[in-house]
Amino acid sequence: MRSWGYESEAFAVEAKREVADQVLPYRRLFRTVTPDDHLLMHFGLGDETYDRLAALPSRQALVYHNITPPEFFDGLNPHAAHHARKGRAQLRALATRVPLGIGVSEFNRRALEAAGFARTAVVPILVDWKRYDVAPDPEVLARWRGPQTNLLFVGRIAPNKRQDQLVRLLAYYRRCIDPAARLHLVGSYRDQPQYHARLHALARELGLGDAVHFAGGVSASALAAYYATASVFVSLSEHEGFAMPLLEAFRYRVPVVARDAGAVAETAGGAAIVLREGDLAVYAEAAGVIVERASLRERLIGLGERRLQAFSHEAVAAGLRSALGI
Amino acid sequence: MDLDALTAELRERVKRKREAGVYGPEVAKALEAPLPGGAPLPTDDGGDPLVALAAAVESEVAYDPRSRKPFIGPALTFARRALIGILRWYLHEIVHRQDRINEAALRALRVLSERESADIVGRVEALEEAKRREAIHQGAVHMDYELFAERFGGLESQVREQAERFVRRFAGCKRVLDIGSGRGTFLTLCKERGIGAYGVDLEERLVRRASDAGLEAYRLDAEEHLRSLPDGALDGIFAVHFAEHVLPGHLFEILRECKRTLRSGAYCIMATPNPSTLTVGADSFWLDPTHRKPLPPEALRFYLQISGFEPVEIETYNPSETRLSEDGLSGAALANVRLLNQTLFGDRDYAVIGRKP
Repeated sequence: MRSWGYESEAFAVEAKREVADQVLPYRRLFRTVTPDDHLLMHFGLGDETYDRLAALPSRQALVYHNITPPEFFDGLNPHAAHHARKGRAQLRALATRVPLGIGVSEFNRRALEAAGFARTAVVPILVDWKRYDVAPDPEVLARWRGPQTNLLFVGRIAPNKRQDQLVRLLAYYRRCIDPAARLHLVGSYRDQPQYHARLHALARELGLGDAVHFAGGVSASALAAYYATASVFVSLSEHEGFAMPLLEAFRYRVPVVARDAGAVAETAGGAAIVLREGDLAVYAEAAGVIVERASLRERLIGLGERRLQAFSHEAVAAGLRSALGI
Repeated sequence: MDLDALTAELRERVKRKREAGVYGPEVAKALEAPLPGGAPLPTDDGGDPLVALAAAVESEVAYDPRSRKPFIGPALTFARRALIGILRWYLHEIVHRQDRINEAALRALRVLSERESADIVGRVEALEEAKRREAIHQGAVHMDYELFAERFGGLESQVREQAERFVRRFAGCKRVLDIGSGRGTFLTLCKERGIGAYGVDLEERLVRRASDAGLEAYRLDAEEHLRSLPDGALDGIFAVHFAEHVLPGHLFEILRECKRTLRSGAYCIMATPNPSTLTVGADSFWLDPTHRKPLPPEALRFYLQISGFEPVEIETYNPSETRLSEDGLSGAALANVRLLNQTLFGDRDYAVIGRKP
């Protein structure tokens, strides 16, 4: 926005430490906003602040990152389930007050339409690709590099991401394809301690204790190292508003096998093996074929790299400009 | 990329593995395994909680009292600084003490976590597993015991003969306990003679068979059952081929319970293979992998005596079929062969018959 000559600021209720110096406290917004300003509200969970923002005199748009269906949390995390329900109700209320809804994927745009937004558009997430230009963490590399097959999934440990299915898939993989294969689950488990504990228990029960590795939330260089040692990226997630890790996998030249859910197929854009199967064995075999067949692997990596062009700065910027009419 | 063709190929692979038995019921079960329960883990975001705690303890507290608000900003800043200045002397002591507590707690946690007992659960599990396996190996529980009994167990006629030998001791009794009642041979005999008797056995199939035959039999552990009975509740105890299946210390405890639960004047009869006959003690006794220790007759008599039975008789029976010929022998040669016959080919079983005074 600044490069187009606009004055632009980011406001947040809470900011990660790495970006804290580039973000202003959200309260400031209430004092400074004018009717001529464009206010882009990024929405991914329910919060009273949005109601107050929607009342501000400005040209408004809501950027929807999707909210996980609350059913996934029932019985595991009542707190998360409550917030998800609240968020979905709030989205419907905002639809009547905010004139433009922007989905980061077609999947999200349809959700906005269903929630009642009069005008909708798709603008993908603007990825800061420079973030990924880091040297892989040498410790992580040394620990996991080797002849073994490393299956990788990146994403918060959360019931909708179905890491439990990945653990089961590994059980098949080790018994029917490669007994030395490992599964790396990279992603924070801070918000879902109950689900995380049960994943551990499942891995133990299936005799996979050492073969499933929970890396937790990791630094950019460690993330690069996990992608560097990955044989295949496997996603069995059942709800994705965008599926950013797919693009990361393309960026790091890792072939992808994924379940078709939410925005997965559209983000993959034909550059991954996206399946709609009931039997986990088929996903495992897909990963197995990729490991076994270099030609397929290379083909997928090539497609992935080409797919990234759709998410370049230029492409996203053009989309945003036309959505906002500026 | 032809996804349809690839999907078809993948399905074909799965099908082949299923047909070959690689993708068997065990794998299918793993793919359907329910998510087990579990308590939330105490770690935070992949980090070691000790490291996180150390970082928190060592982190600096920074508070900027300056206010950037227009007009009232300088006054606010001054007020905050004044308040901090006033409270400093008081807070200093409290904070200092808390720092000491935090650091000591962190050190204590580090020491505790580095102790070898950290993996206590893993070690206990390993021990339990070793113990379980030992029990399996000791008792050869994976052996087909039914098949074993068929090949090496006594004939029904022999078992009945043995029961008949002792049943007269229980004439007129109302409540005789048969420990290890098995197929119910002794119970049947008692029933025929109007003796009130019941049995306990751990083998469910045998218990059911006896019950089906109209006999009173329960699937119970003998010792537990005895402990549940009041003093003097029984007027006889019969235990054939039971003592050699329990460890000596355990046998003492059972005998003490037998003494307690029997009425005065009642018999406790225990029969077991006779290891004094060497073909038994060195050979046939060891056929059964569930046999613990051979019990020489004098040892078992002693056990009953110290348990409070008096008198305790020994009765041997079931003579060996093989014997050295004594035909045409006389003098020292006859005496030697007799001694050999007795030692090698004597009676194969014996019973101790103890009476509660």
